[in-house]
Amino acid sequence: MSMTAGLGFKLEHLDEALTARNPGLWFEVHAENYMVDGGPRLRALVALASQFPISLHGVGLSLASAEPPTPEHLTLLRRLVDRIQPAAVSDHLAWQKWEGAHHADFLPFPRTREALAITADNVARVQDALGRAIMVENPSLYVDLPGHELDEAAFLSQLATRTGCGLLVDVNNIFVSAANLNFSAEARIDAIPASIVGEIHLAGHRPDPDPTSGLLIDSHDASVSDPVWLLYQRLIDRIGPRPTIIERDDEIPQFNELMLERDRAHRLLEQRMPVDA
Amino acid sequence: MLASPERASDPAIRRALAVHRNTATKAARDALFANYPVVAALVGEDAFAACATAYVEVSPPAEARLCLYGSRFPAFVDAWTPFAEASYLGAVAALERLVTDALFAADEGLLDPEALAAGIDPDAALRWHPATRTGQSQSPAASLWLAHQADAPPEALDTLIWAPEQFLITRPADAIEVRVIGAPTRAFLAGSTLATAAENAASEGGDVAAIFATLLSAGAFAGHIQQGENP
Repeated sequence: MSMTAGLGFKLEHLDEALTARNPGLWFEVHAENYMVDGGPRLRALVALASQFPISLHGVGLSLASAEPPTPEHLTLLRRLVDRIQPAAVSDHLAWQKWEGAHHADFLPFPRTREALAITADNVARVQDALGRAIMVENPSLYVDLPGHELDEAAFLSQLATRTGCGLLVDVNNIFVSAANLNFSAEARIDAIPASIVGEIHLAGHRPDPDPTSGLLIDSHDASVSDPVWLLYQRLIDRIGPRPTIIERDDEIPQFNELMLERDRAHRLLEQRMPVDA
Repeated sequence: MLASPERASDPAIRRALAVHRNTATKAARDALFANYPVVAALVGEDAFAACATAYVEVSPPAEARLCLYGSRFPAFVDAWTPFAEASYLGAVAALERLVTDALFAADEGLLDPEALAAGIDPDAALRWHPATRTGQSQSPAASLWLAHQADAPPEALDTLIWAPEQFLITRPADAIEVRVIGAPTRAFLAGSTLATAAENAASEGGDVAAIFATLLSAGAFAGHIQQGENP
């Protein structure tokens, strides 16, 4: 595995990122921020992609919407994929589009068989448009909606079977969801089918500023918590090493501080690499 | 239901929708802070957040590219009652919108002053670079914007002249440049060929050579206008 642990890329870290020489380092960006005609931001990503594997992580395909991704969105994403030649493309098991508006979060839905068919159709459309497989990420959940017919692991597993997509396991999202919906994070980690996992996300969370809710928020504004590191080790102990990204989207620290977390994940992955005979 | 989480009957769903709504609103509001930094600096964080939050309510993002969000924000700022006594804010917002357009416009080579030395056909098309924008305002929007940049002299705000302005936005390299321009420069930019541009600028009493040199160094034009036949 040439890619070990990487970072969610922040434009303010460009110069330091370009000079980093850590083995296995790679970077992930939110695809939509770069789905533009040109300019310095896109040039920065092109420069980064000339030195490191890149993941284009979408936050806007709305894969679980009854309304499919628009041809315009797919054309822009395809143009970016062609330009960057990313190592990975992914988005979330969620929806964002509603009555012409884009809600910049990952909204939950009842995991019915109908929803599976709709999501599979959307994933297939994306994969056809891009000419490659994508990965789908488990979102953070804040309520146990009524009406589920499939649990999340089964839903994602069947989605992968139907479409050939991979699974991006966000360990922090599992921890947050388990706390909010009161299920066992360990059991959920253990239920993930190893063969379809192509990438892992680690991130920070914090309690809801509204203390009456009792919820944990997937805030991406803190370092990875100790219980999430333990769940991560539990996952890669079972399925083996997978390319991993440390996500940080708010309260961004210095590049070196993020690299410390990244190096920790790198060491955990290296320890689990098969040893040559 | 997402617009009004308090209407959900199940308290657990209500709490979850409130979290999703807060996250989505924060992301859109943060995008407005990023796309309108000078307006935010002029009014302060709290006043901007109030205006931005109200805008997100009435004009939520229509698509996922939040780096382009807020096309109607200048008009909203202009009409926002708490800003009524600062009529220049709408003009600054309008300029910042053009800056966003320019920042993400397509890449293309610049018209190279060196190549011009070889001689050009004055009747060949003179094209703006895709990032080039012009505008005008009743207030000194460009000077206000310039005074809030990192490289602005400390006295920039004190020496501001409160008069209407015309301005030019370009992207010669990795950064946006904003310039206050006069009528002759604006007239030059309206020309579709070098000949008509020069004629326009001269009729406004401009120094054509100086204007053309300034516009070339600003990166206002796209590369390769048609060269003359002779090498």
